[in-house]
Amino acid sequence: MRLFKSLLLSVLVLSVVSVPAVSAETRIRCASTTSTQNSGLFDYILPIFEKKTGIKVDVVGVGTGAALEIGKRGDCDVVFVHAEEFELKALKEGYFVNRYDVMYNDFIIIGPSNDLAKIKDMKSASDAFKRITETNYFFVSRGDRSGTHIKELSIWKKAGIEPKGQKWYLEVGQGMEKTQRVANEKKAYTLTDRGTWLATKDKDKLEMSIVLEGDPILFNQYGIMAVNPERHRHVKYKEAMEFVIWIISQEGQKAIADFKDKNSNQLFIPNAK
Amino acid sequence: MDSIISGFVKAFSLIFHLDKELLGIIFLSLKVSGLALIIAAAIGLPFGAIIGLRRFYGRDLIISVLNTFMGLPPVVVGLSLYLILSRSGPLGFMGLLYTPSAMATAQSILAFPIVASLCHSAIVSVDPIIKQASVTLGATPLQVTITIMKEARYGIMSGVIAAFGRVMAEVGAILIVGGNIAGYTRVMTTTIALETDKGNFELALALGIVLLAISLMINMVLHYVQKLGVRTK
Amino acid sequence: MSELGLTIKEIKKSYNGKVVLNDCSFVFDRGKTHVIIGPNGSGKSTLLRISALLEYPDEGKVIYHDDYKTFEDNVELYRRITLVFPKGGLFNITVFKNAAYGLKLRRINKGEVEKKVEDALRDVGLWEKRNQNALTLSTGEGQRLALARAMVLNPDVLFLDEPTASLDPRNTSIIEEIISNIKRRYMPTIIMVTHNMFQAQRLADSVIFVYEGQIVDGGPGNKFFENPTDERAYKFITGQMVY
Repeated sequence: MRLFKSLLLSVLVLSVVSVPAVSAETRIRCASTTSTQNSGLFDYILPIFEKKTGIKVDVVGVGTGAALEIGKRGDCDVVFVHAEEFELKALKEGYFVNRYDVMYNDFIIIGPSNDLAKIKDMKSASDAFKRITETNYFFVSRGDRSGTHIKELSIWKKAGIEPKGQKWYLEVGQGMEKTQRVANEKKAYTLTDRGTWLATKDKDKLEMSIVLEGDPILFNQYGIMAVNPERHRHVKYKEAMEFVIWIISQEGQKAIADFKDKNSNQLFIPNAK
Repeated sequence: MDSIISGFVKAFSLIFHLDKELLGIIFLSLKVSGLALIIAAAIGLPFGAIIGLRRFYGRDLIISVLNTFMGLPPVVVGLSLYLILSRSGPLGFMGLLYTPSAMATAQSILAFPIVASLCHSAIVSVDPIIKQASVTLGATPLQVTITIMKEARYGIMSGVIAAFGRVMAEVGAILIVGGNIAGYTRVMTTTIALETDKGNFELALALGIVLLAISLMINMVLHYVQKLGVRTK
Repeated sequence: MSELGLTIKEIKKSYNGKVVLNDCSFVFDRGKTHVIIGPNGSGKSTLLRISALLEYPDEGKVIYHDDYKTFEDNVELYRRITLVFPKGGLFNITVFKNAAYGLKLRRINKGEVEKKVEDALRDVGLWEKRNQNALTLSTGEGQRLALARAMVLNPDVLFLDEPTASLDPRNTSIIEEIISNIKRRYMPTIIMVTHNMFQAQRLADSVIFVYEGQIVDGGPGNKFFENPTDERAYKFITGQMVY
């Protein structure tokens, strides 16, 4: 009995004492996408920024849709996402201020290495999508309103096809890497970003290859913008802008360019103007 | 198969090297869940005691609701709490979203029905003669209540430990209200989810093994407590 | 000697429409041992439980009188009376803590508690087992502990509800000896229910015979058993009553 009491007590005391003391350091919150977070970019660039300014950036990684929503509700100070159309809309609605292009990578269509649907000689993403629907192969979709998903939907729209509910269309509602793995298992095609593809294809032993790249529609622009302080008084606008300015500065842009994945691939190309 | 084996290897090397980041994550898990448990117990035990000891209108309904809430979907709790704690929500001014406090709150909401309901069951299973014996020996109503709760202590402790096990293993709610921020709100379960997303299966599995080990310890304590209760019955 | 006696007045009680006690009145004199006897189902245990305020009568009153002082608050009264159950009612804690329970409720200082508990546990032969969990005791030991737990409180009124009901002859005589000791030493008002005629004869100063919910006979112990006035009481104590 006594043993148990002291055991329970020590567990509780331990858990309370082990509270990492929240120090007086300044922290801002950045809502970003899971793909950006999973790429490891933040782990590389944020320490550089923190060392320079003393500002700690807490990254909340969610889907692009959720990231914008979090920003609109005032639950973060800055958003760093890749869905230009939606970003500009939210900017116009007055939820955000000071949007800047930061960097890009591009989307690619990947499929089974033997490419039975014969996409490889095509140039247009929407034509490739059409071809996939005419064959018997599955198309795996993120289905999570992420930037990738939104891009995918715009390609379907351009192709004039409504994929939702079709039996060859698999909406998995998962992150990019998982989606790739599902596509691999199903011998299916999918839309992915080059960063995730380069970082994971060997590790996950994907028996897939790039079947289409280079179509301008596949361009994936990342933007950063601060939450409008007039709408949400509590946001740390000043610090958020310090981060925005830094990331589009020469130093920030160099850090992005320097970031390499495990296989020494550069995942993002800085293009702040 | 390979990744399972290497997961175990990595798990043990992580544990034996007492990786600092890992320790921080484990301690934060314990801290958040421990805090949640203290809150849930502070409210849930008196609540369970009242519905266990008093007869009043609507009591049966409350018991049914509690039993239903024992299976509350964590994501629903997380989302509701997110909307409440969000800057645009009713309690936004407190600035609690994406903090360990928000996570502890979410977990205490999940733990409360378990603590209260199991406390209630433990109390109603105490022989009514205990109450009478206590009264005839001169106990005040408060002393009677304390006596009955002491009689039910093994059952109550089982409830508290079961609740601890549940919240330690929970991921849905704390991911939403905690945001899984590295070094700040990242706990074992959210790290496992993240590392799985990133494809770092070995690390995810290693953490899973640590989590399992902690669950095992909790269950061993639970079993020990239950055995104590049985032995003396 | 006990300073507390009690009077029950026109007690009526029924369960689910079945009358259990009908118009029972009695004055329990202080300092005496009153033994309630009667056939099974006659209502004697209910009479005891109502007298001890564990149950409320449908009609009638239970009045405790301490030189005309009456009690409004049950808790205050329960600091002066107590009850030993037929069996059970022990707490899932050590023998010592069980015996000390009532004293601790009264916030008696620790030294005094230890002394009283030690005396009582030695009296009932359980001192050696003081650190054992009470629920591991045998039935006989359990009843001895229940008596010790009551004894330490030195109650003015001690209710005993069939204290030897589930015991063998050896344990029964041990319990009777303990009760006799309590009688001799503290002279509390004892109100006891038993179905054991010999026990009633050995312990009673006064006997109350209950039959079908009514007190039909009674009187000083010796006189009652030698010469019951009621025919039903006569048949009962001579074993002619089939019930």
